[in-house]
Amino acid sequence: MDFSYSEEQLEVRALARQILGDQTGNERQQQIDAQEIRFDEKLWQDLADAGLLGVALDSERGGMGFNFETLALLLEEVGRTVAAVPVIPALVTAALPLQRFGSEAQKHACLPGLANGKHLITAALIEPGNEDPARPYTGATAAGAGWVLSGSKHCVPYAQQAEQCLITAQAEDELLVFLLPLSSPGLTLKEQASTAGEPQYQLDLESVALGESVLIARGEQALELVQWMQQLTRAAIAAMATGLCDAMLRMTAEYTSQREQFGVPVATFQAVGHRAADCYIDIECLRLVSQEAVSLLSLGLDAEQATTIAKIWTGDVCHRVSQASQHLHGGTGVDRDYPLFRYCLMARQLELSVGSSARLLEQLGTDIAVSFTSSGLETID
Amino acid sequence: MYIEYTENQKALRLRVREYMRERMTPALLEEKKNPDFFEGGGPEFRKQFAQMGKDGWISMSWPSELGGQDASALEQYIFTDEVMRSTFPYPFLTTEAIGPVLAEYANDEIREAVVKGILQGETVIAIGYSEPAAGTDLASLKTRAVRDGEDWVINGQKMWTSLANFADYIWLAARTDPDADKKHKGLTMFLVPTDIAGYSCNPVWTLGTRTNATFYEDVRLPDKYRVGEVNKGWQLITGQLNRERLSLVNHGMIEALYTETAGWAAATMDRDERPLLEQGWIQHNLARAKVGLEALRLMCLKQAWAIDQDQLGMAEASVAKVYGTEFFVEIYRLLLEVLGQAGTLKQDSQGAILKGKLEHRYRVGSILTFGGGANEVQRDIISAAGLSMPRGR
Repeated sequence: MDFSYSEEQLEVRALARQILGDQTGNERQQQIDAQEIRFDEKLWQDLADAGLLGVALDSERGGMGFNFETLALLLEEVGRTVAAVPVIPALVTAALPLQRFGSEAQKHACLPGLANGKHLITAALIEPGNEDPARPYTGATAAGAGWVLSGSKHCVPYAQQAEQCLITAQAEDELLVFLLPLSSPGLTLKEQASTAGEPQYQLDLESVALGESVLIARGEQALELVQWMQQLTRAAIAAMATGLCDAMLRMTAEYTSQREQFGVPVATFQAVGHRAADCYIDIECLRLVSQEAVSLLSLGLDAEQATTIAKIWTGDVCHRVSQASQHLHGGTGVDRDYPLFRYCLMARQLELSVGSSARLLEQLGTDIAVSFTSSGLETID
Repeated sequence: MYIEYTENQKALRLRVREYMRERMTPALLEEKKNPDFFEGGGPEFRKQFAQMGKDGWISMSWPSELGGQDASALEQYIFTDEVMRSTFPYPFLTTEAIGPVLAEYANDEIREAVVKGILQGETVIAIGYSEPAAGTDLASLKTRAVRDGEDWVINGQKMWTSLANFADYIWLAARTDPDADKKHKGLTMFLVPTDIAGYSCNPVWTLGTRTNATFYEDVRLPDKYRVGEVNKGWQLITGQLNRERLSLVNHGMIEALYTETAGWAAATMDRDERPLLEQGWIQHNLARAKVGLEALRLMCLKQAWAIDQDQLGMAEASVAKVYGTEFFVEIYRLLLEVLGQAGTLKQDSQGAILKGKLEHRYRVGSILTFGGGANEVQRDIISAAGLSMPRGR
């Protein structure tokens, strides 16, 4: 049993904290908000130059060769600063499945460039009316040695800025996962405006021809990839949410300690202190389940239930801490000159991404029922 | 980071589980149905508790210089968790909170007799802190101890003195300096034998279990029963709080109830001859229970780990107290809903489910949110120590 991080991991966190802390002040964020595309490319490049984009990439791909747990520390810091950088879609959802399941040529084409900040990749998990990437409407028809894809993906982060996108498509009798070049003929992108301002796109595929060289996985392996990709993404969101909620609460504690009404700081009212304490408890729970999910994935152990539980806590805690922070700030919290609103918007984004609490509770309940029905007794741990 | 038990820790858990199964004899289960003996004190409890002492379990967590085995906080947590899971009425406060304090501070003669008795599973001690007018604000207690020659003369009343109906001693906090500049500075700790003249005990029947009011009328107590220095009692009261809190909140007992409830729902058919467990609302409640339970499990393990690292923060101990006790209440409701109306049937009643355990648990569950330091006070500690928010008053 060990809840501590290694020296190396703490160094990575300190480095991330320094770079992100220096470049995410309110003024800088306002400049990024004013851009047409809310992407802080200078910060992204600085993270690359410090080696942080390659933290969990193999050293032969220009990475640091650390585990997912170390990458999660970077994600937590990005959450703490709501930096406008695509850490989850690029470094987690796209890069890690590619690194594990991709061919040498595919990895060579993407990963070194991702690590040095010159090449962006992303992933498309959902479609209009369908949030299950293992059962896509998007279809693939065999054509010679390749396939022709038709269908739509949406809410695809950074699709305009990326070179390739991991997507799933349903062939006649099996699931396929591709590394789709975003410049493919027949592919069009439509901009979507999402609540937190992250650049997102609807990706329409009209008879897009793809060769075998861009196929990452098929059949059973494709299902395994999709399951792992969702687990990684849920754990990553939980880690980011931990930093995000912690920052929101600390901002709230500081604000209420200074804001005076009736001649005293409002933090001295127990009703205020207790609501903040409830947020503190919530965040401690979120941190623990997030660490467990991340740790199990890092160790290569079964993480299906742990990642589901972590994402359920993420949904609940993001909602509660965000609303409490807004409320305890009074009007200041909703003022766009004050930084809290960015956190609240991102909290909602994370809450609803890759499975809401309600949906995942249903999934967890089904799994529990299966485990008790099949074995009569769940393993007690 | 590695959030799993080691092989040795897993083996310890299994060993305790097996061992406690043997302690929960049919005679003890029967004896616990008597409300006077639900929290221990009957002859079968005495027999099994003494067996635990003989087998060396009670001294496990104590430091070796006090006759213990230096178990880590994590090992002690594993033990506590399994004991709670077994529902054995183990007197944790005697063994974990008071015993080590006596071993360190009691006078030689008392230490020889009482500490040995505790480690042999022969002595049970009840806590005499609360009074009718001193609960959360404990330092305002009024029970008086006045020095008279070689003795102390004690007068006053204690409230919620659980286990006093069978305890051998009361661990009593009394005021020895009514003029101290701060009220917590004038307190001294005593060990009062329950067979001493002037002491009496009346039952208080609560929602869930028996507790007691205890009375001290000119109790003449020799000075050897004083523990620690005069007017320095407050440090002894607060010194053991961390370990005490860890035995207050743990996940094993409710995890066992969760498992039994889900197992019951898997084995019980609905009107359409399908397992109840196939119903969406039952799955939903079990999922919510599991989500909360997993956080509690991790929180307890992290607390134990942090104690071993000497890193347990003040806010974190309070977080576990608040979250754990409030989740107990929540999970009882989630699981009772699964049982439905028959969940209200009491143990031994015709038609009772899972021996009426949940019906009883929900009745005893509510005391923990205010006992052991009211949750409001814990929240004050969290906002002050965890978030540096200024306090009122």
